[in-house]
Amino acid sequence: MARYQNRIELLQGTLDLLILQTLQWGPRHGYGITQAIRASSGEVLQVDTGSLYPALHRLERQKWIAADWKVSDNKQRVRVYRLTARGKRQLLSERSRWEQLTDAIGGVLNPVKRESGA
Amino acid sequence: MNLRFRSRKEQLHEELRSHLQMDENARVDRGQSLQEARAAARRDFGNVDLVEQVTRDQWGWRWIDESLRDLRYAVRMLRKQPGFTAAAVLILALGIGCNTAVFSLIEALTLRNLAVPEPQELIRISFGPPGTDGPLSGPMFDRLRERQSAFTDLFAWTNSPMALTERGYSRPIQAAYATGSAFPTLKLKPRLGRLLQWSDDEADNISAGFPAVISEAFWIDNYRGDTAVLGQKIIVNGVPATIVGVMPRSFSGITVDYAPQVVVPFAFDLAVRGKASGRFRPEQTFLFAMGRLQRGVSFKQAEANLTAIAPGVLQDSLPAHYASIPYLRNGRLSLSPGGRGSSPLGALYRTPLWTLQVLVGLLLLICCANLAGLQLSRALSRHRELMVRYAIGAERARLIRQLLTESVLLVLVGASGGVLVAQWMASMMVRYVEQSDFPMFLDLRPNVTVVGWTIGLAALVVLLCGLLPAFNLTRFKSDAVLRGQRGSLGSESRVTMQLLPVQVAFSFLIVSLASVFAVSTAKLLKQDPGFRVAGVTLFGVDMERRPEKGEARLALYRNMLEALRHSPGVERASVLAVRPLGEGGIEESAAAVEGNHNEMQHLFANIVGPDYFKTAGTRVLEGREFTGHDTASAQPSCIVNRAAVRLLFPEQRSIGMHIRSAESKPLHTNCEVVGIVADAKYLSLRQSAPPTLYLPYEQLPSVDPGGFITLSRDSGSAIAAFKSALARFAPDTPLLPPITMQRQLEDSIGQERLLATVSLILGAMALVLTCLGLYALENQRVTRRTAEIGLRMALGARPGQMLSEVLRQGLIVLAAGIPAGLLLALGAAKFVRSLLYATSAFDLRIQLGVIALLVAVGLLAGYLPARRAAGVEPMAALRYE
Repeated sequence: MARYQNRIELLQGTLDLLILQTLQWGPRHGYGITQAIRASSGEVLQVDTGSLYPALHRLERQKWIAADWKVSDNKQRVRVYRLTARGKRQLLSERSRWEQLTDAIGGVLNPVKRESGA
Repeated sequence: MNLRFRSRKEQLHEELRSHLQMDENARVDRGQSLQEARAAARRDFGNVDLVEQVTRDQWGWRWIDESLRDLRYAVRMLRKQPGFTAAAVLILALGIGCNTAVFSLIEALTLRNLAVPEPQELIRISFGPPGTDGPLSGPMFDRLRERQSAFTDLFAWTNSPMALTERGYSRPIQAAYATGSAFPTLKLKPRLGRLLQWSDDEADNISAGFPAVISEAFWIDNYRGDTAVLGQKIIVNGVPATIVGVMPRSFSGITVDYAPQVVVPFAFDLAVRGKASGRFRPEQTFLFAMGRLQRGVSFKQAEANLTAIAPGVLQDSLPAHYASIPYLRNGRLSLSPGGRGSSPLGALYRTPLWTLQVLVGLLLLICCANLAGLQLSRALSRHRELMVRYAIGAERARLIRQLLTESVLLVLVGASGGVLVAQWMASMMVRYVEQSDFPMFLDLRPNVTVVGWTIGLAALVVLLCGLLPAFNLTRFKSDAVLRGQRGSLGSESRVTMQLLPVQVAFSFLIVSLASVFAVSTAKLLKQDPGFRVAGVTLFGVDMERRPEKGEARLALYRNMLEALRHSPGVERASVLAVRPLGEGGIEESAAAVEGNHNEMQHLFANIVGPDYFKTAGTRVLEGREFTGHDTASAQPSCIVNRAAVRLLFPEQRSIGMHIRSAESKPLHTNCEVVGIVADAKYLSLRQSAPPTLYLPYEQLPSVDPGGFITLSRDSGSAIAAFKSALARFAPDTPLLPPITMQRQLEDSIGQERLLATVSLILGAMALVLTCLGLYALENQRVTRRTAEIGLRMALGARPGQMLSEVLRQGLIVLAAGIPAGLLLALGAAKFVRSLLYATSAFDLRIQLGVIALLVAVGLLAGYLPARRAAGVEPMAALRYE
């Protein structure tokens, strides 16, 4: 386990949000999701496969995402995940929760800045 | 599930592979070499198997996955030890099968509800001296039905075999009379057409034709299930009736073992037989009556209602002379739950069957103990495996689960085998229960109750013989795990040591009871019943409906006898009214006119023809037997047996004395004793011969004896002769199935034979199982001690010493088990006493025999291992370690 320590550990529940957010722009396979998260976070967030796949299968069981087998550009069978209607609703509510949370944490960390902003 | 699951697992595998592949491709595109790319991709990915595992956990199917793995592993383990598996499955199949068989009979005979809606609302109404539940008379039923207020309605039902005439040929069928209220009260819906209703049972309506309903089985057999059956004529008891409907398939009458094929209203009997019909006769009690409780009325309230109206009902329904008939005088009306209908066989066989159920229960415990012992004796190989698995991190609960899975699998396979054993055994037992007069109808197809019973037994077996070894085998001391593998093995042989004496004790009890039952049955069979058994055949005919009456009927009987006596193969023939052991008889009260005892005595009467005693093989001790001269014109004569002589003429010569009838409607008024015969049993082999009065049938022209008896070399020729004589003199007369005296005798002790045969089989099984258990223990011990034995042999011990040492260990187990078994047998004696004939329930000679038998079994079980111990080569044994 030692070799994982240099990565940023994601908060419980945030990975689900990241996956749902990533899938909002279109269906992707598991590898594609890791790449997208890494790219859009400026290479900071590296999703561990040992977390990603359990999360994908959990979200699939909750019917927030659905999966199909497709053939990729280089003729490889890949499992592609897409957002379901329930997933979209879930994304919206999780996003607003997340924003509340970051606002709240931001307020705790920077009370002055927040006051001046207001 | 398995298939879908597997494919999902493969899909996950492929998904993760594709992830790796894409990462690898991306790195190659960025310019890394293939090897570098592959290694880096793998490094980034982490442990593929672990990722697969944690992802699968998300599916929530982990326990299924594990159970499947346990199951696969269990199958592999059991296949690796075919000897153990075969033995275990066989033991379980026998144990569970025997239990299921006995229980399915108990269920069918005593526990099953009638196949009608809300059977629990049905209440049976009986008449008879307190403690009995006899049938009602017609007037009793009618008065009750008029006056009761607790039931929606009452109905009466009488099973009665009838003659069915098809294309000029008669054959007996199972049939019944029912009041018109029967089917509405039972709430039955017709399978086809309509069922009987009240208007069918009114004599005025009967001119329109007699309605009849038939059973579904009869409809399919006789009419190929054709709907055109409605309106067709059917000739029963010589009178045409019209089929108006088919009864539902599930309904098979209200008596457990009697499924009527045709049901007609009582009005039919009334119209056909007129005054001879018993429907309105106050002295004939033959109606099985039931009622359905009104909504909201409890059994207690119904009883209170009955108590209130009973005196009036009885007063208005009993015959005028009832006070002179003890049965009627002491009779009371009573209620009992009727949801199960009536089961005369159930009443007869309840005690023997529950006794057998206890015995098969013990056998099952022996099976469990044996199996647990077998499982533990595998410990040597399993223990090492389990310890290794424990050492590399398996939880104990997980190991127990694995072992239990093996047990469940074994029990499942065993229980399926048990179903086959049960079928075989149940059909064997039915043959003892069945009386040969009529084919018995007993639906023994597995139903919810019986299947539930089997599953319950199987679960019990898993608990008993799976859990114990599982806990025992997985109790490791952590430090012992990697140390000596054999050090911690003492415990399981200790458990086996404790189980074996229990097995011996139970086997002792089963074998001891089986022996007692067998001895009792043998005594019943060996005693002299007072009549000949070999070569005697009995015939029953229904001459009452023939046109010949009085002298013409006597002529018919004379002609029949003449024809029979001249038939090839038939040596003798005669007439009789009451067949020995036929469960019926004529009660007669009489007094000796010139005897010492002038008061009235109760006698048992039989009406017989000339030559009866020579044919039946009953010895004439004094005087003569009836001849063709004992006719209506001759002096009324009679013959008595020894028991009657002791009762009527204890101190004087009885030939030439007179006997006066004390009956209100006497068969005879005053007859002269012309002969004394030996005692012959009538009602049952268990009871001693009743004091019997024999009367010549030709002097009683008003009574139809209805029975013939022949003596012939084989029953086949007698039956052929009888059929041809009947066809010649009385065509179209229903003939009940002829029965040999041998069969009649066997039928009459069906309970005893069933109990003896089945318990002997169980006893044999118990002995074999105990023998196997002892063998397994000894064998395992000798294996474990091979080195020690070898060493002692090398130091000078003689083979004979080793032999006796091993045998002695087996005897120690017996010494612990046999006294316990003796105590059990002593305790059981109280409960089986009522089932025995002239045999003590705890006969010391029998117990000694059983002890000898068990010791022999113990020596047999120990012999092979002991021989092996004695034959140990010192050098080979020392090299073994």
